Amino acid sequence: MAELHLRIVTPDRTIVDRKVAGVRFQGVDGGYGILPNHAPLMTAISTAGAAEITELDGKKNELFVSDGFAQVHDNVLTLVCEAGEFVHEIDLERVKAAEARARQKLAGLDRVSTEFLLAEASLRKAMMREMLARRVAGSGSLR
Amino acid sequence: MANLKELRGRIKSVASIAQITRAMEMVASMKLRKVQAKAQSFHPYVDEIRHMIEALAGKVGGDGEVPLFQAREVNTVGLLVITSDRGLCGSYNSYVLALLRRTIDELKAQGKQIKFWVYGRKGYAWLQRRGFAVERFFVEPPLDKADFGAAKMVGQAMVEAFTSGACDQVRLVYTRFQSMIKFVPTDAQFLPIQSIPVGQAAKADQYELDFLMEPDATTIFNRLLPRYLETVVFDAMLQSLTSEHASRRMAMKGATDAAVRMNKGLKKVYNRARQENITKELLDIVGGASAVS
Repeated sequence: MAELHLRIVTPDRTIVDRKVAGVRFQGVDGGYGILPNHAPLMTAISTAGAAEITELDGKKNELFVSDGFAQVHDNVLTLVCEAGEFVHEIDLERVKAAEARARQKLAGLDRVSTEFLLAEASLRKAMMREMLARRVAGSGSLR
Repeated sequence: MANLKELRGRIKSVASIAQITRAMEMVASMKLRKVQAKAQSFHPYVDEIRHMIEALAGKVGGDGEVPLFQAREVNTVGLLVITSDRGLCGSYNSYVLALLRRTIDELKAQGKQIKFWVYGRKGYAWLQRRGFAVERFFVEPPLDKADFGAAKMVGQAMVEAFTSGACDQVRLVYTRFQSMIKFVPTDAQFLPIQSIPVGQAAKADQYELDFLMEPDATTIFNRLLPRYLETVVFDAMLQSLTSEHASRRMAMKGATDAAVRMNKGLKKVYNRARQENITKELLDIVGGASAVS
């Protein structure tokens, strides 16, 4: 059976570069599930999204990805994103600080300005990270 | 002799200069290694983004949908100048600034307006001295600590200047790192984008695969473009930074070598003078003793 090769690259590093059984991630217009032999595809990843990797041995790993693009071609899935980290790498303290900062900014801004949208995006990212981190912490013992 | 004391002082100061330059050389080579590692891990990202954009370029419609590709009559040119914050790095800054001066002269001869965006204190000071108004001087974060976020900020500022009509063309003036001993000051066009063929022009190449596009090609393309431009800026920043450190390392190595050589020469002179002194004193003593007896 054909295998799916996953590559996740960010400006700082290549996070993942290995064979996997399947990947789920959030595009701008909905969720995607990619399995081996997927048709060639190109899409944009949502501003703040989660990706779930199903490893070859059936284990699942979640990570945070943001602002990126996905491309499937020849059984290679490439996620090119601005930021990405595994759930266990998320630093809750920092995320909380970022969330507070974003909220503070939002309060003083005009609702139709670019700054508002930017601040909203950073708030979304912070909340997504927090959600992921908490979910794993909560169910860590079950896995 | 007073000469001896003077020599001792000089030897001491030259030795301490050598020590300082040697330390700077080591710091520069460490930083150089760090920046190179950064550039290395940045490479896959650039490749992927470029790949996707090239694959998409043939699928988007005419120029009307992609404003960043549209060339218009050039009245105002925006220049993004990247230099270092500090000196003592050989001819690094003077090369970029010489290129900048040529570019300015050329544009002025064509009767164009010029606006400046600057990264690096040296370039800013240079422009200020010559009375050019600087549109924006990026201070934070310093180039040394610049990450992708900084490139994003700069890229957005440049795109904004282009789309708002403040500039009809944006160019980057920076230093390309060619090898450890070769740095090329470069003046490259940034906007409108020329490096990638779009629309009809791109149709001919090999990317004729049928991709599923969601939402659709133009939307993805327009989202992808800013990312691409950010990578171009970041690449220019990294190249400049690498050149700066490599240049400083070389300059400091030269300085250290020169100082060590000079110290050797001075020591020789000092020892000879000292020996002469001793001989003279001995002669005095011997002469005195023979006069007494």
